[in-house]
Amino acid sequence: MNRTTGVSIALTIALLASTAPAFAGKPARASSKTSVNRNTNANTNRNTNANVNRNANVNRNTNVNRNTNVNVNRNTNVNVHHDIDIDVDHHDYHPVAAAMVTAAVIGAILYEPPPAYTVVVVNGVSYYQSGTTWYQPQFSGTTTTYVVVSAPR
Amino acid sequence: MRTSFPRNLALAAALTVLAALTGAWPLLATSAGAAPATAVDPAAIAALDRMGAYLQTLKAFQLDVATEREDVLDSGLKVQFAEATNLVVRRPDRLLASVSSDRKERHFLYNGKQFTLWAPRVNFYATVEAPPTIGELIDALQEKFGIELPLVDIFLWSSDAGSGAGITEAVDIGPGQVGGADCEQYAYRGEGLDWQIWIQHGEYPLPRKLVITTTTDEARPQFQAVYTWNLAPAFADADFTFDPPAGAHRIVLAQTKPEAGASEKEK
Repeated sequence: MNRTTGVSIALTIALLASTAPAFAGKPARASSKTSVNRNTNANTNRNTNANVNRNANVNRNTNVNRNTNVNVNRNTNVNVHHDIDIDVDHHDYHPVAAAMVTAAVIGAILYEPPPAYTVVVVNGVSYYQSGTTWYQPQFSGTTTTYVVVSAPR
Repeated sequence: MRTSFPRNLALAAALTVLAALTGAWPLLATSAGAAPATAVDPAAIAALDRMGAYLQTLKAFQLDVATEREDVLDSGLKVQFAEATNLVVRRPDRLLASVSSDRKERHFLYNGKQFTLWAPRVNFYATVEAPPTIGELIDALQEKFGIELPLVDIFLWSSDAGSGAGITEAVDIGPGQVGGADCEQYAYRGEGLDWQIWIQHGEYPLPRKLVITTTTDEARPQFQAVYTWNLAPAFADADFTFDPPAGAHRIVLAQTKPEAGASEKEK
C-alpha cells in the first residue's frame, strides 16, 4: 500500500521533472506578425534581430568580463535554439523547473531563474546570487531572461 | 444501374467544372501576372489614408483590444494565445498600456520623460530615460531594446506616412459589422503578410478589427485584434508615472546593439 503510493509519487515527480523544462524551452519557429506598418522591421526582428540580440548580449557580457578579467568564455551560444521562445514568466509557472546549470558560463542566457537564489541589490539594480554564480535578470524585448554575469561588486 | 447513373452524372459534372477551371486558369494566371498594378484599388488605399488622418486628430483616447496571436512550433504545430490589451493615450507624450495573457502580464508607462516596463507577476521593472514624444519613443524602444509597443499600428497609421507603401494588392471586400458598428472590410497584401482591416463607416473612420496573416511561414500564423474605442477617456497625470509597488525589483533592459566603442575600448 505504502509502497505503491511511494512509487506513484516518484513517478509523478519524474514526469514533472521531465515535462516542465521541456515545455519551458519549447521553441517556436515563427510567430504571427503584429504590425502592418512595421512589416519589414518585424520581419528582421524575428529572423535576424533575434540573433543580433543574442550577439549584443554576448558583447555586453564580454564587457563585464573585461572589467573583471575573467575573459575565457568563447562558447556563449548556450541558448541558440531558444531564440524564439514561447513567452512565459517562468517564476510563476515552473516551480519544479529543473534548471541543470552545471557550468554557469558567463554570458549564458536562461529563460528561467536558478532553482535557489538570493536577491542582491547592487547600485539599485537586482541580481540573483546562487552559490558563486550571479545572474542578472533583464528584459530581452519584453521577455524576462537571466544572464549569467560576473560578481557585480 | 440506379446507383451508377447519378454517380456518372456527378462525375461528368465534375469533369466539366474541372475543364472550365483548367481552361480559365491560364487566363487568371496571365492577368494576375501581367498587370500587378491594377490589383491595387486606389479607393482601398484612400480609405487607409483617411483613417490614418483621422487617428492623428485624436488627442486622447482609450482602447480595449482583444487580440489572438499564433506561434508555430518547430514541428509545424500551430498554437494560439489570447491577450487583452488596454491602452490610454494623451498625445503627444503620455501613454499607458497593459497587456495581459495566460502566461504573462506587462505594463508600459510613459510620461514624456521616462519609460517603464513592468512585469507584475514577477514584479520586475525597468525604467529608462525617454524621448519627448510617443513617435520618437516607438523608434527608440525598437532600435535600442527591441521592444514593440502594443498596438503600435494605431500610432503609425497617418495620412503622411504613405499608407500604400509596400502594398501590392488592395481590395474593398464590402460592408461588415464589428461590435455592432457598420464597417467596410478591406484586404491587402504586402511583403510577407496578407492583412485585413474593418474601418468604421461615417464621420469616425476608426479601425475596428485587424487581421494579419504571416505568409513567410507555410503554417501562416495569424494575428487578430478587435478594438473597442473610448474617445473621452478619464485619467490622472500621475497614472503615467511608475510608482514601484512593495517588493518590486529594478532590472535592466537588454540592449539590442553593443554599446558604441565597446570593441575599441577592449583593445
